[in-house]
Amino acid sequence: MRINPNIKIRDMVGEHIVVMPGAVQTDMTRVIALNDSALLLYNALSGRNFELEDAVRVLTDEYDVTPDVARRDAEALLADMRKNNLLV
Amino acid sequence: MADLRLEIAGLGIRLQGADTLRCAMALPGIAEFRVADGGDDLLFALDQPLSLPRCRLLHQFDIADGAVQTRFGVDADGTYYYAFGRHGLLRYDPRQPRRVDLSPMSDLSVLRFALWSAVAMAGLPLGAVPVHSSVVVCDGRAVMCLGESGTGKSTHTRLWLQHIPGTHLLNDDSPIVRFADGEVLVYGSPWSGKTHCYRPEQYPIAGLLRLEQRPANTIRRLGSVEAFAALQPSCPPSLAKDERCMDLLVQFISNVLQHVPAYRMGCLPDADAAHLSHDTLMP
Repeated sequence: MRINPNIKIRDMVGEHIVVMPGAVQTDMTRVIALNDSALLLYNALSGRNFELEDAVRVLTDEYDVTPDVARRDAEALLADMRKNNLLV
Repeated sequence: MADLRLEIAGLGIRLQGADTLRCAMALPGIAEFRVADGGDDLLFALDQPLSLPRCRLLHQFDIADGAVQTRFGVDADGTYYYAFGRHGLLRYDPRQPRRVDLSPMSDLSVLRFALWSAVAMAGLPLGAVPVHSSVVVCDGRAVMCLGESGTGKSTHTRLWLQHIPGTHLLNDDSPIVRFADGEVLVYGSPWSGKTHCYRPEQYPIAGLLRLEQRPANTIRRLGSVEAFAALQPSCPPSLAKDERCMDLLVQFISNVLQHVPAYRMGCLPDADAAHLSHDTLMP
């Protein structure tokens, strides 16, 4: 999997947000706020192919968690990111 | 023909042209913003012989009550174009950020929208953005009611006029918010929907109110992400379709939200709703 190369993280009053543009014909936009862990994965894994284990390693390197806990968190985070089109 | 000088959102705007300039002078709301002389912040060059190059389409929508299909796009050099059906073109080159070119236009509703678009494009780098809202002023401070069409923005500001003493309407559709010198102000404009309310005045903002129709009156302060989601859809939709414009828009919204509180309000069309928002924003 890869981080969606077409998204851009923007700083807004200390929050990290992604604005997903709507279709050309609509006036809709969708705003997604990234928490610290999602931002960590985005920064560490952008621009390359990666697997679940790569995400687990990013979390265990940064946080004081066991690999099992990190794997569960990584699965949940990546599922959320996929649901919000942050992964391709 | 002499220039037309306007002052909108604190920006001195010089309009040059011939026939289209005469049309612009006749638009409702323009006379109120005319000044004898003023700064040269922006130049709107009307009656220019423009042609439309190959563009990447960013946004497509209807104006003039659905009669004119409008396309917003950017060419290979990064110059932006609006094509208002067959009624005219607008060109904005961000490398000459203080100039907007418009082709000859005779349809008044198209010209009105084109001038609004010119202010939106050229105002953005100067921290000035039209915000779709109905705005009342009380005790020298403004309250901006936001929401999709039909959510009761004008109804809520009318309730303030009826039930809160010393209140007046600043604008009923498209005032301009400007962040400059560390301060956020809302300005009246020549664009006020169907309400003829064209006031060349500006005020600090007591708060943004994102309205929703609900069976009871409730109000709560929004955190920054929710406040962004409340304000961004009220800014010109075309700006959100382009990455460069969006960068500037996010910066603008960040600046506004650092100085102005935002609230979400569920409301009935009654006097209690006006008192609740008044007592919350202006205790």
